[in-house]
Amino acid sequence: MPLTSQPIDTSIYSAITDAIKTEAERILTEGQVTAVVGYAAARRKGSAQPIIITEATDAAKLIFTAACVNNLAVYLTKAKKEVPKSGKIGIVVKGCDLKALTGLMGESQLKREDLYLIGVPCAGVLGSTVQPATGLTTDTIAPKCTECDAHLPTGCDFVPLQTPVTPELEQKYATEIARLEALTPAERWAYWKEQFSKCIKCYACRQVCPFCFCEQCLCDRNKPQMVDTTPRPAGNTAWHIVRAMHLAGRCAGCAECERVCPMDIPLNLLNRKMAKELKELYDHEAGFEVLDKGPLNSYTDKDDQSFIK
Amino acid sequence: MKHTAPTHDFEPKIIAFVCTWCTYAGADLAGTSRMQYPSNVRVLKFPCTGRIDPVFILKAFQQGADGVLVSGCHPGDCHYIAGNFHARRRFAVFRKLLEFIGVDLKRLQFSWVSAAEGGKWVEVVTDLTVKVRAMGPMTEFKELAMEEQWSGAINTPELQEAYNAI
Amino acid sequence: MQKYISQQNLTTLLDILIAQGVRVVAPRMNAGTPLYEPLESAGDMVTDQLPRRSAKEAFFPVCEDIMTYEKEGQKVTVTDIDPARFPETLLFGVRPCDASAIPVLDAVFSWDYKDEFFLERRRKTTIVGLACTTADDACFCTAVGLSPSDTKGSDLFLTPLEGGGYACETFSDKGEALINAHSSLFSVPSGAAALPLAEPQTEKFDLKKVKAWLDEHFEDPLWDGAAVRCVGCGACAFVCPACHCFDIVDEGTEKAGTRRKNWDACGFWKFTHHASGHNPRDGQPKRYRNRIMHKFKYYDDKFGQTLCTGCGRCIRVCPVGIDIAGIVEEISKKQE
Repeated sequence: MPLTSQPIDTSIYSAITDAIKTEAERILTEGQVTAVVGYAAARRKGSAQPIIITEATDAAKLIFTAACVNNLAVYLTKAKKEVPKSGKIGIVVKGCDLKALTGLMGESQLKREDLYLIGVPCAGVLGSTVQPATGLTTDTIAPKCTECDAHLPTGCDFVPLQTPVTPELEQKYATEIARLEALTPAERWAYWKEQFSKCIKCYACRQVCPFCFCEQCLCDRNKPQMVDTTPRPAGNTAWHIVRAMHLAGRCAGCAECERVCPMDIPLNLLNRKMAKELKELYDHEAGFEVLDKGPLNSYTDKDDQSFIK
Repeated sequence: MKHTAPTHDFEPKIIAFVCTWCTYAGADLAGTSRMQYPSNVRVLKFPCTGRIDPVFILKAFQQGADGVLVSGCHPGDCHYIAGNFHARRRFAVFRKLLEFIGVDLKRLQFSWVSAAEGGKWVEVVTDLTVKVRAMGPMTEFKELAMEEQWSGAINTPELQEAYNAI
Repeated sequence: MQKYISQQNLTTLLDILIAQGVRVVAPRMNAGTPLYEPLESAGDMVTDQLPRRSAKEAFFPVCEDIMTYEKEGQKVTVTDIDPARFPETLLFGVRPCDASAIPVLDAVFSWDYKDEFFLERRRKTTIVGLACTTADDACFCTAVGLSPSDTKGSDLFLTPLEGGGYACETFSDKGEALINAHSSLFSVPSGAAALPLAEPQTEKFDLKKVKAWLDEHFEDPLWDGAAVRCVGCGACAFVCPACHCFDIVDEGTEKAGTRRKNWDACGFWKFTHHASGHNPRDGQPKRYRNRIMHKFKYYDDKFGQTLCTGCGRCIRVCPVGIDIAGIVEEISKKQE
């Protein structure tokens, strides 16, 4: 593990950009898809933003860089009514984003035949607090990329022939989870209390989550009001516990919640902890195959019940 | 029936979420058999442990519970065939989440108590009550409920009183 | 009044005020995030980063109680929160983009209804602005007619000087009172040059032209283009120094509880959702249009001011890269 910041090679991204442009143009021209969801450059230097194109001429706008941080799968859920869902839709996906699509297919939210997947061989993207023009290094890389096992997305319709060079990195979440697990309950409570105290209930974490597609969130309801809606420490804590619970066994770690949090709350830490427990308890890992039933809506009669009297 | 249990410095509030088919009937049996168990427990009846949302447990702690008990039918005995199997997984995961947040899991007990197990009900409730009584009040969520974001904070005696009343 | 204060005397001043029981709110780090928060010691202050949330919460809290209720049998007791109980506050190290939003907010909170929750906090707070020496390419204060040394909204304004210390200039009685009460810590102006300020490299918007376009283009393809990707969170409004929408909720039990006021945002679908189920703003582009219209048209129509100070926070936090400066620039070019 290098102690100083090392650059990460992103030179393949320009070839990937070209390949995405060509492929998007082709599938739109041939009428294989009605729209392509991808990334385009934005005003700030080096920045990127999601774009939904329907004309082949707009394919030239598509890019892929280390600033292409979004999980575009969110635009395919029923929660995003503004995005037309008619016909087959092309979507640019990194390996981590693809896991979300896999989960959505398992939950009958999407059909594989309605999608044209343009997979991206990915060496990593930037963390949320750095300027978009920053170069990708072992310091500026998003924490989720330090634990990535899907640099090359599998099962896509098209993947540019590039191989990302990915250095071995310290696994940020595994390390942090181990650190927190070693603390006493009171110390962990203090840690989360401080983190949740920053929350302002902007619900960015919910709105970008591909799995938060409920028409009406439990936490928006007031009859009955199960979770206080006010952004006070009590309501914030309840919200984040409920959110983590509702994602347990479903979240595959795109870490969008954590990336978008304007208050830098390490939300993916909760999701990764849940994923770790589900792996240990039920040998389940989200995002690898389309499953009819997730770990929390299936069971076996041999499930652990050592905690039950 | 006169309650003659010894008094303690602290009497915990225990909320029990139970299924109507097994544990509620078990608790009923304990009552009709005139078995004694601590009056600290407040029983809430549900159709099935599968209906008990983890958010209820959270809400109970937030509203002042010092301990929570969740109890239903033994595996294989569920009136709805698999409700308790689903619940078993859900609670196995939820308690891991609470533990990670920093809640002491000794305050949260799960059990299977059948309609014939009045004695087991008494045992489970008594054990939890004794354990939680020794631990003292659950202060974390109560303190949290009184905290404000700095910008909204004002310390007035009236507010303090109002909060204490909640 | 113009004065000089050294860095050391400034630290002393803040520590004295804290010891006197004044709530000194200034930028500090909270679990790794820069925020305006009450200081326990002047040493905790971190002024080299723009706080993630604006300074508006000193007057318009994230969440505040407005009354409590208690019910006993048939008797219901309602207790109003007394604004007299708000703490005396020194809001220190406020960036010009944050300080200048506060007089803009005065207009809406003291218009037909005088909001004592806002106004009493305002009366009890002295604002010390600090000229801005750090900017990034999301900053655009100069584009909306402000500058990194704009003194609007500040009672006392500090400009960091070459060789340390600050030039101090007062703009209100509150600012003068602060200096007079601690006059031994201040000295005559030193004449040193100011540190180079952070001028955002943006072209100035013609806000009249922007408004003129908005007047005519409630329906326009621009809104779809700008905001079809909006995911509908409230991050932009919550970090904004000028957004001021709030929601009122009752929390508690039927026996006792509290009525609370908390931040709301026009980006939420629930913001305009009617009890009937109808939602007049039935998509994110319409909701985003309201954000732009409110900032550059409605507020101007009503109060003759613009509801944007160019802090760039919404650009930095937007999960999907929606860029208000880019959109207003696009609009301002439309009538050329």
